[in-house]
Amino acid sequence: MRLLMTASQIRGLPVVTVGGGEDVAEVRDVIYSPEEGRLVGVTLNKRGFLAGRSRDALPAEAIHAIGQNAVMVLDESSLVAPQDAPDDVGRPATERNVIGDDVLTEGGTSLGKVTDLVLLVGSTGEVVGYQIDKDGGGRGYIPLPAQLSVSGVALVVPNVTEEFVQDDLVGLGASVDEFRARMGLT
Amino acid sequence: MSESFRGSSGRKVISRATASEVGSVGHLLVDAQQRRVAAVVIGRGKKAQLVDWAQLSGFGPDAVMVADENVLRPPADDRERAATEGDLELVGKRALTERGNELGQIDDVTFDNDTGVLEDLLIGNRRVPAGSLLGSGSYAVVVDESQETSP
Repeated sequence: MRLLMTASQIRGLPVVTVGGGEDVAEVRDVIYSPEEGRLVGVTLNKRGFLAGRSRDALPAEAIHAIGQNAVMVLDESSLVAPQDAPDDVGRPATERNVIGDDVLTEGGTSLGKVTDLVLLVGSTGEVVGYQIDKDGGGRGYIPLPAQLSVSGVALVVPNVTEEFVQDDLVGLGASVDEFRARMGLT
Repeated sequence: MSESFRGSSGRKVISRATASEVGSVGHLLVDAQQRRVAAVVIGRGKKAQLVDWAQLSGFGPDAVMVADENVLRPPADDRERAATEGDLELVGKRALTERGNELGQIDDVTFDNDTGVLEDLLIGNRRVPAGSLLGSGSYAVVVDESQETSP
């Protein structure tokens, strides 16, 4: 079974070194590239007595794994200062935020508003779907194609997405492969 | 002979030279990379001292023997200071896999009392071979992904 988590579940997770067993930071937020449908990295907070915003960031390439209880890195050198980070990690563009965007099918049907990102956790942190507030009320989950057009106010998904709206993360996990097969992505 | 961390806690440490008690075992400091006991921590806090495993003349079922009191030493670096504060104690620590999933708390650890080589980590009703150990620190003990429970 694949493990899916929302970005909100990842926020606040400790960042722990594999070799040292130390919690060197915690996740403040995830940095996401909607055009590429992937996690770019995470911003960090400090832990312990010095708790508060950290200037350091963690690029996705330096993440060893994301699990239910921790984000694992090999050692403390995985955390990078903003000037040493790739631009999209060091200075993430805020207009990339898709939360609150309308989800529209290519046919022009609104499915709802984006409330959260859904990531396939493990070694990569691929973004595979969105949590939405459905227009008809209630929460839903939609799978994502690898790429889509996004403007900052709306994002456009294939018509077939409408058939794949799920009620929970488990349902989404089960349907992602089928959805991608239908899209000819796998 | 197999020994356990829990079982040896509180055991007397005796000087061979004077036959007197120089302290008792607080806990054991491990070297996670070498997967062995690095030192015995005697006492806790500011007054705690260490004895390197190599300096023991015997880790017996009734007493831990040292040549004399002079083998007890104060912590030499930050890691050892953290150990004397009890921050690195394995028993009671959370165990994470390298995939970031928690297995539970470490209930006990077994080791060979002759060599100091770690044998198993006991986590709940699970026995994790010490060969899976990747790292150990103040926050967690990390074990390799072979210990992931299959869903």
